[in-house]
Amino acid sequence: MSDPLSKAATATEIARAVSTGKVKVSAVIDAALARIEAAEPTVNAFTDIVAGRARKRAAEIDAGKHIGPLSGVPFAVKNLFDIEGLPTRAGSKINADGPRAARDGALIRKLEAAGAILLGGLNMGEYAYDFTGENIHYGPSRNPHDPGCMTGGSSGGSGAAVAAGEVPLALGSDTNGSIRVPSSLCGLFGLKPTYGRLSRAGSFPFVDAFDHLGPLARSTKDLALSFDAMQGWDPDDPVCTDRIAEPTLAGLDEGIGGLRIAVAGDYFAKGGEPECFDAVATVAKALGATKTVVLPQAAAARAAAYVITAMEGAQLHLPRLKSRPQDFDPDTRERFMAGALLPGVWYVKAQRFRRQFRAKVLKLFDEVDIVLAPATPRSAPKLGQTMMMVDGVELPVRANLGIYTQPISFIGLPVVAVPTRKPGAMPIGVQVIARPYNEAAALRVSAYLEKAGVCVSTPA
Amino acid sequence: MTDKKPDLASWVDEAAQAIGLPIAPEYRANVIVNLERALAIVQPLLAVELDDGLTPVPVFRP
Repeated sequence: MSDPLSKAATATEIARAVSTGKVKVSAVIDAALARIEAAEPTVNAFTDIVAGRARKRAAEIDAGKHIGPLSGVPFAVKNLFDIEGLPTRAGSKINADGPRAARDGALIRKLEAAGAILLGGLNMGEYAYDFTGENIHYGPSRNPHDPGCMTGGSSGGSGAAVAAGEVPLALGSDTNGSIRVPSSLCGLFGLKPTYGRLSRAGSFPFVDAFDHLGPLARSTKDLALSFDAMQGWDPDDPVCTDRIAEPTLAGLDEGIGGLRIAVAGDYFAKGGEPECFDAVATVAKALGATKTVVLPQAAAARAAAYVITAMEGAQLHLPRLKSRPQDFDPDTRERFMAGALLPGVWYVKAQRFRRQFRAKVLKLFDEVDIVLAPATPRSAPKLGQTMMMVDGVELPVRANLGIYTQPISFIGLPVVAVPTRKPGAMPIGVQVIARPYNEAAALRVSAYLEKAGVCVSTPA
Repeated sequence: MTDKKPDLASWVDEAAQAIGLPIAPEYRANVIVNLERALAIVQPLLAVELDDGLTPVPVFRP
């Protein structure tokens, strides 16, 4: 067990140390704030720090209030979450001039109700239209495992803050891969739940059809602990499911017995560097997975996700593209503008195709419980890199880091991104994909891999 | 897609005017590049044939 005041401490370890009286919450928070101060010049994960609020809550918990399963656990959120009293930046300069949030986003309230303590808002790609973690307004978040490399995005600050050990837990959003890509590049466990499983109320949207929120952490148990605390219907998010909460933590160590696990072939077995397929093979071997399944028409699914994203995102931002184009990050502005000019028939076809793809993939889950696929086609590119060689072809970094994540979020399947790392190499993740609402199975697989030492996340 | 390549520069100029989106000259070239990328990426979707009975999911439930 790690020292609860160290950067290696997990949320679970901190909560246990707090609940057994081994450590004061005030000391946990002071230690986390000191780590943030030390690491920020290198990783640039935070855009806002709410030290006063955090210390006040810590004192309240030390005085016996707000006791819960996450008591004393410091966490931070991608800055598209509303934080009371702060503008919801969503990675932009424009929103920073906007109104200050009247209350915290729903998931912050849920985590704090369970005893966790918010430390601040995290850097992200502008308006979440990003796979790199770069941002012209706030500077890039930097990969703690090599500050010359990208964190991945758009939840780049979330990846950096957890991988640097500033906080054990961060929340991000994932529309096309924005939790799974930084988890892969920063060597973390990340959970993109089923679409609609967690409330998105009090967060700045990007693409309503695909927007998900979820946690990034350095242990599976921390994902389960926080996911369980955040589940539940919320009338403020029309997409949020009214299914009863299904806790995952208690069953986490049940192992993989009875789970039928397969590797995604075809689309997911090409178009990447050897390292991403090696990672899948390593995980598959540890799980004894020998079967291959094909998600039919995955390339069309990626295309459809791209079209819906470009068009919904452009429509959302059209007023700002007209009134303040000069205040956009150039790396998002012209993509949004192009998205505003795409034909409407593409959008409708993409939505119709979505139903077909969903039906075909759900049928696959009659045969298997878990599908493994690469999370990213390669490990972290260098900061500023715009083109990358993948499988002998030169491709734009921004459009292609998410080629394996996009078809999955397109139909809202739950995924745990699990980390792998070879000695001397940068981390790279694998997607553990389950049928809708079966986060528990993906988390069980992740916990098994972690226990076996195949997927381990250590802070830089 | 037909064999004849669409004139993407005209597409950008005309469609932007139609929706009232001013595109400054310094942004225009990159908007065209991004439209070209979108056109390439969308091809696998355009190649799919869908049954007439296949409607979109009004409320998406995974």
